[in-house]
Amino acid sequence: MQKYWTVFRVNWQNALQYRGPTAISILGNLLHILVLLYLWNAIYQSEQSLGDYSLSDLITYYILQLLINSMVLSYISWQIGTEIREGSFSNFLIKPVNYLHYWFTINLSGKLFEGLMISVVGLIMAGVLADYITLPDNLTTALHFAFAMILGAILAFEFDFAIGILAFWLVQIDSFKYMLQYGMFFLAGALLPLDLFPMLFQQIAHALPFRFMVYFPIRIFLGKETQPYEGFMIAGLWIVGLYFILQFGLKRGITRYEAAGK
Amino acid sequence: MGQTLRRYFALYRSFLSHNLKNEMMYRVNFAINVGLDIFFTTVNVIFFAILYGNIETVGGWTFHQTLILVGTVGIVREMAYLTFRKGFLELGEYVRTGNFDVMLTTPMSTASHLAFRHVSLTESLGEGLMGLVLVGYGFSHLDQATWISIPFYVLMLFNSLAIYYGFCLMVSSLVFWLIKSQELNTVIYYFMNTARYPRDIYHGLGKAFFTFLIPSSLIATTPATLLTGKIDAPLMALSLFVAAGLLSLGLFIWTRSLNHYGSASS
Repeated sequence: MQKYWTVFRVNWQNALQYRGPTAISILGNLLHILVLLYLWNAIYQSEQSLGDYSLSDLITYYILQLLINSMVLSYISWQIGTEIREGSFSNFLIKPVNYLHYWFTINLSGKLFEGLMISVVGLIMAGVLADYITLPDNLTTALHFAFAMILGAILAFEFDFAIGILAFWLVQIDSFKYMLQYGMFFLAGALLPLDLFPMLFQQIAHALPFRFMVYFPIRIFLGKETQPYEGFMIAGLWIVGLYFILQFGLKRGITRYEAAGK
Repeated sequence: MGQTLRRYFALYRSFLSHNLKNEMMYRVNFAINVGLDIFFTTVNVIFFAILYGNIETVGGWTFHQTLILVGTVGIVREMAYLTFRKGFLELGEYVRTGNFDVMLTTPMSTASHLAFRHVSLTESLGEGLMGLVLVGYGFSHLDQATWISIPFYVLMLFNSLAIYYGFCLMVSSLVFWLIKSQELNTVIYYFMNTARYPRDIYHGLGKAFFTFLIPSSLIATTPATLLTGKIDAPLMALSLFVAAGLLSLGLFIWTRSLNHYGSASS
């Protein structure tokens, strides 16, 4: 445990050093959300509406999506892919750390750091848009939401890690990774709430676990999912199942590893 | 003036042919780039298709008109890759390693050398082609489309390119302080991504913000408005004015920022 705590601390300090760039990328994201808020506003001004969402529901949805993008969604696969491709993965073969746990720790500290920064932005936005925010009306909902966020973050990490270690089998896959990641976020409900999709797509998205990363926590927050226990259980099963699959995949991957450039 | 223009045109041609030869060497890469672009543009179209499955219009724009917006962004992006975009993507690397020295010392303007350094036909070709298809498809489904609007459309495409370039110069000037351009490029990427929503969704302060400070609302909406048959003279004038202003301001800030270049490792 001690060694992972050290990894956590080192990465935290690293993140602190790059707070400027982090702030700028948050700014970019903020810009996109701002435009979407105008988009929803224009739609509701012309007396149209989307599904069972009120304007404040939708605005809340996208502000939460901004938080989730920083606190839940994982982007570590880029570094993992590079490490495997360029051979610095070799260092881990002789270290007494588990590669999966190591990256889980790095991701955790990164997400917490970004989460702190984005929370400030989120609070300011929520303050400015106070009239357009739907807040949970009881503590249970808030707790459900927090728990769903944690589950979502673990799942997002596991899927991203899976994409990262694909590099053992496929050498140049950056573009493929882009597609996988983007397709996953789309099916998670990051661009549009899933219940606005045509029926067939809704059913597909519902059968897949990606919705637990974005759509599910936000629905809880909006009070549209008061009995989320079944969802918690399914997400939990996915997390445990994926954990074993990833450990197995990692083992298989190492036997394929060629230590390029070393 | 004429002579300078001719010289730069010749320079552009030699940079382009050099880069094309380079790109031809990696055919698989080319296929992947095109595939990736088609994928992303398709997802964007799906986004709007789902949205329009629930509603009729967005800020007065129908689905087919919106396809013209999405396509226009793709076309402007490809034009940008053919003229300047890639150099800015690599700028952080040049500044960090000190390779930017070369651009300061060659006998052509620094901004142009950076722009022409890596002009690329294939980097965004998929999105450009998809863009043409979308614009064509949208155009053929319009009620009051006229062929006369096409030259205006093309003219305003170049104007949008100028706005894009001015914005790029302005934002990228920060690189001399940050010594990293990845995040700046993310901002520029979002700038173009938000351009595909119609300008009519903004009002009040937001409208001013997305017109003068971050003029993304003009990039696609101005050309697309003209193509959909409305000859909106005030909008055209506004776009021309913003392009001229932003280009001048961008060049001014860029030239000033060059003083801050540290010339690492020399």
